[in-house]
Amino acid sequence: MEILSVVDLCKSYEKFDLKNVSFTLEQGYIMGFIGRNGAGKTTTLKSIMRLVHPKSGKVTILGKDFAENEFYCKQKIGFVLGGVDYYPKKKLKIITDVTKRFFPEWDDEKHLSLLKRFDLDPEKRIDELSAGMRVKYSLALALSHNAQLLILDEPTSGLDPVSRDDLLCLFQDLIEDGEHSILFSTHITSDLEKCADYITYIKDGEIIASTEKDLFLDEYRLVQGPIDKLTSELTEKLIGVRKHKFGFEALIRTRYLPVAEGIEVESADLEAIMVHIERG
Amino acid sequence: MKNLLYKEFKLATHPTTYLFLSLGLMLLIPSYPGYVGFFYVSLSIFFIFLSGRENRDVFFTVSLPIRKTDAVKARCSMIAIIEMAQILVAIPFAIIGNASRTGENLAGIESNVAFFGFVFMIFSVYNIVFIPMFYKTTYKIGIPFLFGGIAFGLFYILVEMLVWIPSPIKSFLDTLDPTIMVQQLPILIIGIVIWFFTWIITYKKAASNFEKVDI
Repeated sequence: MEILSVVDLCKSYEKFDLKNVSFTLEQGYIMGFIGRNGAGKTTTLKSIMRLVHPKSGKVTILGKDFAENEFYCKQKIGFVLGGVDYYPKKKLKIITDVTKRFFPEWDDEKHLSLLKRFDLDPEKRIDELSAGMRVKYSLALALSHNAQLLILDEPTSGLDPVSRDDLLCLFQDLIEDGEHSILFSTHITSDLEKCADYITYIKDGEIIASTEKDLFLDEYRLVQGPIDKLTSELTEKLIGVRKHKFGFEALIRTRYLPVAEGIEVESADLEAIMVHIERG
Repeated sequence: MKNLLYKEFKLATHPTTYLFLSLGLMLLIPSYPGYVGFFYVSLSIFFIFLSGRENRDVFFTVSLPIRKTDAVKARCSMIAIIEMAQILVAIPFAIIGNASRTGENLAGIESNVAFFGFVFMIFSVYNIVFIPMFYKTTYKIGIPFLFGGIAFGLFYILVEMLVWIPSPIKSFLDTLDPTIMVQQLPILIIGIVIWFFTWIITYKKAASNFEKVDI
């Protein structure tokens, strides 16, 4: 079942436009939302949550229109910008005590078991938690009110590699039941290699791809070769060409293969794809 | 709404909210402008918004499954409760102060029935200027407080002026005569009515401003 559907979301700022952002996410999957800084990731996520006012577009959660069913939809979503960073001087138990009152499906036992699982002490203050622990606490809050869709804005940013890996494993554990889904934005592409099922790529406010990760990866190849092989015909097909003293390196759509002899072709990882696409 | 009010008092109140409530004690000071103690309420309200901004209260609140207008209603209700509490705390001190003093208050109006009516009006003016202006941005607090403070100050000067100039109005307003104080009751009632209706306008205007804000 479709847990999230975003259709033609538009938002205009003085110097930036979100243009007809559309994508969908099925239940039981992780979608990585990638794009460079300022591409529109946070604006999109905030528009989904109606924290900013989209000029037009429609967001549906589990088949229900968000604008018309905001209360229901917010019950089903755990939304985290970074980690918990509000009321940093308050203890976790105070934040929990206030938060739980707003969610009829809140499960105290589940919350306690999540705190235990994440090794979170309710007597600690928010500002005593590390960045990773803050994300985990926000997940504990979201899962305790039975949120089925977790929307996380750069949850791994600022985490050390061990904490990041730990969190990504946790993401995978969470979706195993087939009910939960995660949409998380990041510019750390290795996170997505590890755990994303789908990739949605945003560039300058426009979605340029939203598809299964493997299909996305399969769509591109890295090519490199001597500079004399870089004909104008080939250049037209290449993305983000970088010339160096030994030749050139670029990205190419798989459908343009094979190219001339003497050009090496290899699979491209997400980082290479992103770097070349952004280079243009 | 009950949950939002709980959130307001559990998370959003600033310690000065409770500390400044005790400034009703200032009505015990002989020959002292009585409105000054109530200025501290406006200050404690300012601190609530200020600490709310530093604690990202707006983001936390709107992330909850609530309507944005309800967030504003809860905040406005909390302010109304604080202002009411300040007046209720001050009344016994006004009675004690008035009973223990021999001479009149040389620094302004006596702490009588009309005085409390004017306090309600001063709160009305402050609320209607400060709160909707804050909700235009939710991060600019100094400018709304400056304008709210100016409105508070101007209205304070206006009502004090009524008792500075010798006139029948002064004799009517600046007295602790129980018979006249009974006649002052309409001023108190008008003050409460103005405060109540400006609260509704304040909330509606602030909610409409907040609705347009991108967070």
